[in-house]
Amino acid sequence: MDVSQYLEIFLDETKEHLQNLNTQILDLEADPENMDTVNEIFRAAHSLKGMAGTMGYKRMQALTHDMENVFSEVRNGNIKVHPEMIDVLFRCLDALEEYNNNIQSTADEGTNDNEPLIKQLNEILDGKAAEEKKEAPKKAKKTAKTEEAVEEKWNDINLDDSQIRVIQAAKKQGKNVFGLNVVVQESCILKAARAFLVFKAIEEKGEIIVSWPSAQDIEDERFERDFTLIVVSENSLDVIIKAAEYVSEIAQVTGAELELEKVKSYRPVEDIEETDKAKTNALAKAEDKSKAAAKTEKKQAPGKPVVNRTVRVDIEKLDVLMNLVSELIIAKNSLVSATDQEGSANGAIDEHIEYLESVTTSLHESVMKVRMVPIESVVNKFPRMIRDLSKNLGKKMELYMSGEETELDRTVVDEIGDPLMHLLRNSADHGLESAEVRAQRGKPAVGSIFLDAYQDGNNVVIEVRDDGNGIDTEAVKEKAIERGVITPEQAATMAEKDIINLLFLPSFSTAKKVSDVSGRGVGLDVVRSKIESLSGEVEVKTKLGEGSTWTIRLPLTLAIIQALMVVVGGEKYAISLGSIQTIEDIEPGEIKLVQGKEVIHLRGTVIPLIRLNEIVDVESTKSPDANLVVVIVKKGDRMAGLVIDELIGQQEIVIKSLGKYIKQCKFISGATILGDGEVALILDANALL
Amino acid sequence: MEQLTTTNNLSVADINSKEAMETIQFIVIRLGDEQFGIDIRYIDNIVRMQRMTRVPKVPEYLKGVINLRGEVLPVISIRLKMGYEPDELTKATRIIILKLEQEGNVGIIVDEVKEVVTLTGNEIEKLNYDNKDGKVRFTNAVGKHNGELISLLDLNMITLEENA
Repeated sequence: MDVSQYLEIFLDETKEHLQNLNTQILDLEADPENMDTVNEIFRAAHSLKGMAGTMGYKRMQALTHDMENVFSEVRNGNIKVHPEMIDVLFRCLDALEEYNNNIQSTADEGTNDNEPLIKQLNEILDGKAAEEKKEAPKKAKKTAKTEEAVEEKWNDINLDDSQIRVIQAAKKQGKNVFGLNVVVQESCILKAARAFLVFKAIEEKGEIIVSWPSAQDIEDERFERDFTLIVVSENSLDVIIKAAEYVSEIAQVTGAELELEKVKSYRPVEDIEETDKAKTNALAKAEDKSKAAAKTEKKQAPGKPVVNRTVRVDIEKLDVLMNLVSELIIAKNSLVSATDQEGSANGAIDEHIEYLESVTTSLHESVMKVRMVPIESVVNKFPRMIRDLSKNLGKKMELYMSGEETELDRTVVDEIGDPLMHLLRNSADHGLESAEVRAQRGKPAVGSIFLDAYQDGNNVVIEVRDDGNGIDTEAVKEKAIERGVITPEQAATMAEKDIINLLFLPSFSTAKKVSDVSGRGVGLDVVRSKIESLSGEVEVKTKLGEGSTWTIRLPLTLAIIQALMVVVGGEKYAISLGSIQTIEDIEPGEIKLVQGKEVIHLRGTVIPLIRLNEIVDVESTKSPDANLVVVIVKKGDRMAGLVIDELIGQQEIVIKSLGKYIKQCKFISGATILGDGEVALILDANALL
Repeated sequence: MEQLTTTNNLSVADINSKEAMETIQFIVIRLGDEQFGIDIRYIDNIVRMQRMTRVPKVPEYLKGVINLRGEVLPVISIRLKMGYEPDELTKATRIIILKLEQEGNVGIIVDEVKEVVTLTGNEIEKLNYDNKDGKVRFTNAVGKHNGELISLLDLNMITLEENA
């Protein structure tokens, strides 16, 4: 069977299941007794196995099969969760992830059989088996999943009083009541659809009173390979089994006359003398009842996720949509500028254009929202990472996360994982002190690392914080002098902030020992360049002995921004509104000189001036004694005043790349097309600071 | 550089062997008094001179960016790139939009677009330079057409970035 068309879905779902397993096993480690977690793990492992099997990935299937066995034993209470087991399980997940990566890049799972892991898993199972033999042999029968166990599964169904009553009534009327067990073929991909056909086929011959799992669960494919039904019919058992077997991809249908006395949940229900009418009513309601049963069942298993109504959309399709919205906004801008030139003679047109503007803006917002995904998908892997780090480094630490639901553009979320991982590793390795030092300093033995995300205006802020040692600026200084980055004289006059910024230089690492966690000196500069490539910025605040906070600030959207249009030397430029604080009118006399540089004193702050015309190499069109228009921009807590010639106004602009060909220019972050078709460059205020 | 030379040799070798009898179309352009040919397969579009936005802090030959149906494209003056006199803009001046694999689309300014010629492999003579003098060459072959010689531009060299 050709399954290539399912490959993408398979990869996506495998990733989800693996992430889910990671999280759940972490939970399990914290709370080994929690049966809900065990069940959830079992379910995820089972679906993984099924999917891998269907797709023909035998090694993956073999490994998940053994994992599933372990979980199944845990679920049955035959083995206890212990730390070694958790370690083995995590290694299994890593192996599975490797399979998944191989499949993603080559459509093949690779040749690693992971025998040691399978052996370890079996050892866990054997350890339990040895214990178990001493116990009753009865349990062994249960674990050995034999066909006999399948055969009379209907006797395990929980029947409520009304269902028992319906069955009794049917029997009284001389109808046949059967228990049926339907097994779907292992290779079957659309289990729910097959099950639906079986339901339909049987309902033509009789009435389905009870199904397990419930009809709703079956519809949502929340069942394994088989399901059990209780059917009332006037036809014989053979007719019904044939009808069910007629559906393709059904492996096996077994059935027998249902004897209420054998049903485990059976308890004698008072035989209320009901009128015939009531009985038929009850029969008709049987379907509703089973649905009601499904509801109660759901309440019993609170861990079951509520299925959201979602559609998976290819990110490329969203990109196309986004591009179209960009084009629309450009077209709208041209219309606006065209009518401006006409001289607003026609009020009606203005009104329509305003309406068009508000529609395009909300269209843009909704398309942006569609592209937004919670950062959860990225940060979810971190608790596991910190756990591993904690073991590797021999330091006790705990990761606290908040704001996982904060949303960012998909493209940003995809890129942000690595920088965050670097920062967390950094905190774990360099930040947190060893246990002895912590004890000396009177800090709790377990180090804390925090990962907080929140939205702040048009930005999303992600903070990585630790209660460790903080950055030792003296050590950084020494290292920088040693490496020849700065001279001792420079070091003496450097502000603390500038010293910390040295950390972001390429190949600068203060780790005394090179570990495989960090210390190769490639971390922080990569972090910074990555975040800057996403138009974001990274900052660090630190206090020696108390810890550090790394703050990453990212723009919500990348493609369309609100910008201030300005004129410098006759040329138009755009400055992102996000970085602008205020716009000031400054008299030439207010400009002071500090160390040969122009500054202004504004409401208690000294702000350096940057003459934009010098930056972009043009002559200013303004006379030197006229008042200056100064745009105050801010990056973190650094400010600067950009001197421009003229203000045009605020505008929604679509960011276009300048192409690969032009890349020398650091302070130009892109270009945009104005309403009249002219190209204006976008100034990156952050790069100017 | 090494990589570039090898790819050049390859393309010329291509012309000589496989496509000896096949024909290639070239667009003939004028720069001053000289005629150059550009392989039509690399040409996306030819547009009139239009308003250009200057980009600061880039080499002089990079004249700026234009808006071509919603895309922002860089435009190069090949006159400046090849060390000729600066462009004189006339009615005949055109921007030829080249589609390049690596750099994406790039525009080059030419004085005039004259005609399209079809050359067979035999009419193309590749030029062998020894790279000893270290000079950058902008042509890699000469085409013979109706008794005239057309220098065939090496587009890799035209768009090669100078290490500024």
